[in-house]
Amino acid sequence: MEAISKPVKKKDHDAKMSGRALYVDDHVLDDMLWGRLLHSAKAKARITSILLPQLPEGYYVVDKNDVPGINQVHIVQDDTPVFVEDTVEYVGDPILMVVGPELKQVERILKEIVVVYEELVPVLDMLKSDTVFFKYNYAKGDMEKALQEADRVFIETFQTGYQEQAYLETQGMLAYPHDGRMTVRGSLQCPYYVHGAVAKALGYEEKDVQVIQDVTGGGFGGKEAFPSILACQTAVAAKKANKPVKVIFERREDMEFTSKRHPSICTYKVAVKDGEITGMDIDVLFNSGAYTTLSPVVLQRGLICANGVYRLDNLRVVGRAVKTNTVPCGAYRGFGAPQTFFAVEMMMDHLAKEMGLDSLELKQKYMVKQGDATSTGGKYHFHVPLPEMIEQIDELTNYREKRRQYRNQTGRYRKGIGMSLFFHGCGFTGSGERDIIKAVVRIRKNPDETVEILASNSDIGQGLKTTFSKIVADTLGISLDRVLIENPDTDRVPDSGPTVASRSLMTVGGLLRRAAERLKDEWKAGEEQVIEEHFVEPDFVIPFSITEFKGDAYPTYSWSVNAIEVEVDTLTATTKILGAWGTFDVGVPVDLNIILGQMQGGFLQGIGYASMEEMNCNEQGMIRNNSLSDYIIPTALDVPNLVTKIINNPYTHGPYGAKGAGELPLVGAAPAYVEAMENALGVNLNKAPFTPEDTMRVLQGGLK
Amino acid sequence: MVKSYHPVSLQEALAIRAREAVTPYAGGTDLMIKGDEKAGYLFLNNLSELKKITEDGEYIRIGAACTFTAIQESELAPAILKAAVSQIAAPAIRNLGTVGGNICNGSPKADSALVFWATDSKLRLVSSRGERVIPISEFYLGRNKTSLQADELLAEILMPKIGLNNYYYKKVGARNALAISRVSFAGILEIEGGRIVNCQTAFGAISEVVIRRPDLDAMLSGKTIEEAKKAVKEEYLRAYDQAILPIRGRISAEYRKVVCMNLLRDFLESNGI
Repeated sequence: MEAISKPVKKKDHDAKMSGRALYVDDHVLDDMLWGRLLHSAKAKARITSILLPQLPEGYYVVDKNDVPGINQVHIVQDDTPVFVEDTVEYVGDPILMVVGPELKQVERILKEIVVVYEELVPVLDMLKSDTVFFKYNYAKGDMEKALQEADRVFIETFQTGYQEQAYLETQGMLAYPHDGRMTVRGSLQCPYYVHGAVAKALGYEEKDVQVIQDVTGGGFGGKEAFPSILACQTAVAAKKANKPVKVIFERREDMEFTSKRHPSICTYKVAVKDGEITGMDIDVLFNSGAYTTLSPVVLQRGLICANGVYRLDNLRVVGRAVKTNTVPCGAYRGFGAPQTFFAVEMMMDHLAKEMGLDSLELKQKYMVKQGDATSTGGKYHFHVPLPEMIEQIDELTNYREKRRQYRNQTGRYRKGIGMSLFFHGCGFTGSGERDIIKAVVRIRKNPDETVEILASNSDIGQGLKTTFSKIVADTLGISLDRVLIENPDTDRVPDSGPTVASRSLMTVGGLLRRAAERLKDEWKAGEEQVIEEHFVEPDFVIPFSITEFKGDAYPTYSWSVNAIEVEVDTLTATTKILGAWGTFDVGVPVDLNIILGQMQGGFLQGIGYASMEEMNCNEQGMIRNNSLSDYIIPTALDVPNLVTKIINNPYTHGPYGAKGAGELPLVGAAPAYVEAMENALGVNLNKAPFTPEDTMRVLQGGLK
Repeated sequence: MVKSYHPVSLQEALAIRAREAVTPYAGGTDLMIKGDEKAGYLFLNNLSELKKITEDGEYIRIGAACTFTAIQESELAPAILKAAVSQIAAPAIRNLGTVGGNICNGSPKADSALVFWATDSKLRLVSSRGERVIPISEFYLGRNKTSLQADELLAEILMPKIGLNNYYYKKVGARNALAISRVSFAGILEIEGGRIVNCQTAFGAISEVVIRRPDLDAMLSGKTIEEAKKAVKEEYLRAYDQAILPIRGRISAEYRKVVCMNLLRDFLESNGI
């Protein structure tokens, strides 16, 4: 273990353990009003009229007419309205907000409002969508030729479902006008995203908007874009009332109406000639929901890894993110990659069976290595540690032997084991970091010889305050308690980009490392000094073109191999997870405890995605799995034997050798789990989550 | 404003219950998630009379305010009951939740109630007017509907002492902890001198109330294992196949039905039938 990896007490440990940490709902301001949203009850309708009850004094209804700036939330494209115009596009679309001093009265008023809808026919099924929000395609080699010359062409379709972030703290925001400015604070990942959105909705200059991140009880991507929407609504309400307004979502509201992982349908057409895979022709379909939000970037990431970790000379990838009248989907740990990695890993399993091989044997044959080209004609510039990771997992689990043993079982209990190989591209997809984000960090040395970190990245439970501080303290050679870090406040910190894409530590941490190195050189005792650093793309990167999908989509990759062993009870169709093993290459962990916590939590989330987390719309477009008793996420008892290992593969261009970590552990759990189910049940499976009801259908012979 | 009462004796509790419309509150694990500001709550946590586990010649008597943890730790509580309560929710809930609350909540998914159904337990209901002892099957009138009168409290559950040793219990939840039952099954089979003297089964979480069919279970009574296996088994399973009509809930009726029948068959086969 490297010295930097040695675990320390987290910077926010005491505040959180003692209960002193203040979340947005803990803030109560003088004269503060409570806000609640009226959400559309219809999936698609024209609003004919809205009948309001008599409003008591001090109560307001806030809607599209109150938006002083532009009635659009700035995300990537700006089609999400702050409050709906004339039509509603999904069950949950925000129509208006009621604000007032007593929450009970606000709720009463909300119940008494009558919205008269002229109902239109919603599109709920992504296969029936008539609106393609985004379409991308890229290719290499000659896919048509590969298909024409193939001995056999295998075609399969894979499906994945919604996944809800289920963070502990629901969405919440507090906005207050003062001195001609607007301050917005709340539970969020990306202060400057919120900042830009609020300025646009209010029609304010950027200097007149302040955004502060409060202590945030989990995000997992769910607080990347959605807080921009809620912040605009809350700020507009605060502007109208000219008072502080606080909105805290209830759990059901949060689960039903905030962004989730995109459901997907992927079709793979694979050409095989002379026992070799000669090409993959891949069609990816993501359900965006009613608005575009982050769908273009989610889709891009999904497409870039659609061929998994495999070297293919001929490849054609087409992807669409389509509109449906359902809740807008957005970011969730993995960001498009879990969907396509599920599909490609299952496809490889099924191909192997057709070719009379075990899937691992086939996968090993096509695995990329350092120097190989990526799907987009970039390069794997660094060592790809998959071979030693596979051996490590095999040693831990006796994988190869068990795979053989578990074929053709009978009896009540049937075991299975599956393995997945995958990566996560570290940082923003493509040239976003260089062309759009242009991250800036500062560190300020105070006369008392303390050093404060000024960056816009938020600690959302992933330990960023601690790891950032460790980098600065260790570089300067000062004790950790002399490094100060507060929750970001846009009045105080530069825009070092959002807290997303497994970028914060690798990219922003790298800038902090450089800033600290400079400060060390220039250190002047007893003086105040401010050092600023700007993002520079590493020299080795082959510039990425998003229009052509060419070049290095990521500077480097984090790698992982997962194995999951299951035991199916054929009487109840329930599955016991006998063990889940993951080995992870995240470069050098800047704190081993933090990394192991991330790996365990993410892996378990991935197992939930694979096995039990099921969410659907009914015929009216309503999500009924809107509580934690209807939407089941795993507990520690579901995977007691959860083993995570870290391998040492330092990234030369990351701070202390670190690279992206946060998303990686979720990405490959689903294919490992479902392959284990295949091994136990002796059939091919094509969907995640694969639930007990699905298992029962197999056992009853209802599924092929 | 919530009204709350904290009686220190059963007698005092019953007097309040007779006087006012109050909601009995033992562990509160079902009530606290749907708090009603207009309700009056009668807290039963100080009533030691309701927290005892005792036995007499005929029954194991379980106080209604006994927590699941108390049952797990009791020497008198039968193994079938421990098997069920040990799989309820999680330790924090088991430390608070009570068997009385589990029964009076009226849910067909109540895991301890299923065992009381399967064992034909009786309930002792008390009020300031007196008391009545009824079979648990008469207590449940429908989903969330019970025959508990407005002035009554459930005081004790009386579990018949005989024939509890050879039992079968299976809970199917959506995960391994903090899970509401999707299907639950309990069965007991008493065999004497190679003959089945008593068979009792109950199915939970699949319909408005627990399914308990003594008329069908009687098909096995008096038969040897061999006779049961050869002559009665298939007919018995067919009868249950017709009797079990699960309702669609969070999980499909078809799934529940297959699981019920698989478990019933396994119950027989694990006894050599």
